Amino acid sequence: MLCKIADLIVKIPTESGVTALCGDYLTNETSEPDIIIEPDKFFVDSYPDYVDIETINYLESGFQFSANLLKFGGFYLHSSAVELDGKAYLFSGPSGMGKSTHTRLWQKVFGEGAQVFNDDKPALRRIDGKWFAFGTPWCGKDRINQNKKVPLAGICFLKRGEENKIRRLDPKEAFPLLMSQTIRKFKKAESLDLLLNMIGYLLKEIPVFELENKPVEEAAMLSHKTMLEASKEVFHEN
Amino acid sequence: MKINENFVLREVAGSWVVIPIGEKSVDFNGMMNLNETGVLLWRELEKGAKKEELVSALTAEYDVSAEIAAKDIDEFVETLEKAGCLEA
Repeated sequence: MLCKIADLIVKIPTESGVTALCGDYLTNETSEPDIIIEPDKFFVDSYPDYVDIETINYLESGFQFSANLLKFGGFYLHSSAVELDGKAYLFSGPSGMGKSTHTRLWQKVFGEGAQVFNDDKPALRRIDGKWFAFGTPWCGKDRINQNKKVPLAGICFLKRGEENKIRRLDPKEAFPLLMSQTIRKFKKAESLDLLLNMIGYLLKEIPVFELENKPVEEAAMLSHKTMLEASKEVFHEN
Repeated sequence: MKINENFVLREVAGSWVVIPIGEKSVDFNGMMNLNETGVLLWRELEKGAKKEELVSALTAEYDVSAEIAAKDIDEFVETLEKAGCLEA
């Protein structure tokens, strides 16, 4: 099947085992694919026996997509992505830090207006100098996922804390955090350099925060208020 | 002594970091930050410098005695060895 993901034409063969996730991304466009998922190149044998084939297909197709995405000025960020008032806010961090919980709190506080459009690996791309977050079929176990393209307002790394505290990170602090939540395997220095180049732009152009939080509505209100204010720089709204 | 080619030094956001690629990146946790001295020594080690050459590089660039330079170099090399950045 031919899909349009992150504004790229992606050929996803049935044998890849992920087509069920891709319904929302089907396209009628007939141009040559930008990216081709190749199931015969999945490293199935590199997984322990207890990992089921569905999970392997999901992960391997995701790796292939993200490795190719680098060539188109993009990378994925392990995060939960929420849209509010036409802006995308991404909450990232290692598993167990409450990413999904936090975006659910946004939905509770802001109602229908807040849409979680990807809960695992949204794609980020810099197109004509502007950053966008995209929904992708690689969306986590809850399969929460919408095919969307939303201007990126900010990124926030979550940490469990006793109280709710948010602070803006300087690029030196944000860099290792971003690197820890995106593609980790680089076969060649060239792919690493593509990623570093994009992250270099992102650190200059997109505000990045760290939120210590408890899973309460006040945390959502605090992250929204702070990130919305900082996003005015991004969208030249001041 | 020579840097293992599976490690590369890059500058991002004003910091110098060592990042593994290839096989090494699989079991990799975190990156190593290098200061100015570390970058100088890394560059020498990429060329496969001997310890005496590292000492001369350091004393040429900084106002430091050969003795102190040698001590710093030992520490740095040990850190690199532990991180697996040097060729066996």
